[in-house]
Amino acid sequence: MKTLRFAIIFSTLIGMSFSSALQAGQYDLKEMTPEVTQALKNRQARYGELQDLKTQNSVGENSDGYVTALGDGSASGIAAAENRDREVIYRAIADQNQLGPTGLKVIETVFAEVQREKTRAGESFQLSSGEWTKKS
Amino acid sequence: MKMGWKLVTAGLLLLNLTACTAKVVGDPNRPITINANVVVDIRGLKQTATGIEALVAQGGQL
Repeated sequence: MKTLRFAIIFSTLIGMSFSSALQAGQYDLKEMTPEVTQALKNRQARYGELQDLKTQNSVGENSDGYVTALGDGSASGIAAAENRDREVIYRAIADQNQLGPTGLKVIETVFAEVQREKTRAGESFQLSSGEWTKKS
Repeated sequence: MKMGWKLVTAGLLLLNLTACTAKVVGDPNRPITINANVVVDIRGLKQTATGIEALVAQGGQL
């Protein structure tokens, strides 16, 4: 009886520790390929400049998980570069987790939601309806 | 004291069973079936997305 009691308590503690770890890593990038690593490094290097462009409303987060050059389009180059790197990361998540082309769309939508939540007051973002608005 | 331990053990056993069931089902509020064989746990995917965006913003070691 003591052995059974110990086994149940032990398995509960182990299960609790594993469940949180597994949940956190469920759709993680399982392999940091050179392409993914470079895409992340590019995004890190570009991050400050992109944030400045968002503050100036030259760039906004669209509803597809990418950025759109706004206004006179002067930021189209950096927007295109950012989108290329984002697509590399999204595709890697889809491929490494066997989610397929339809899963890629889900990934893009989820990333769009995360980006929308990170948008700061005054910055532009696109609603799921397609309409552009500014965060208040 | 013995009855107390029995109750604790029974409670933990019940917790194990329900936790295993919940893990298999996933998030009942926002699962998305993207084809007949794959169900995406949106909450898990959002955790991944949040982690990646934090890594990009903080410039962490890759």
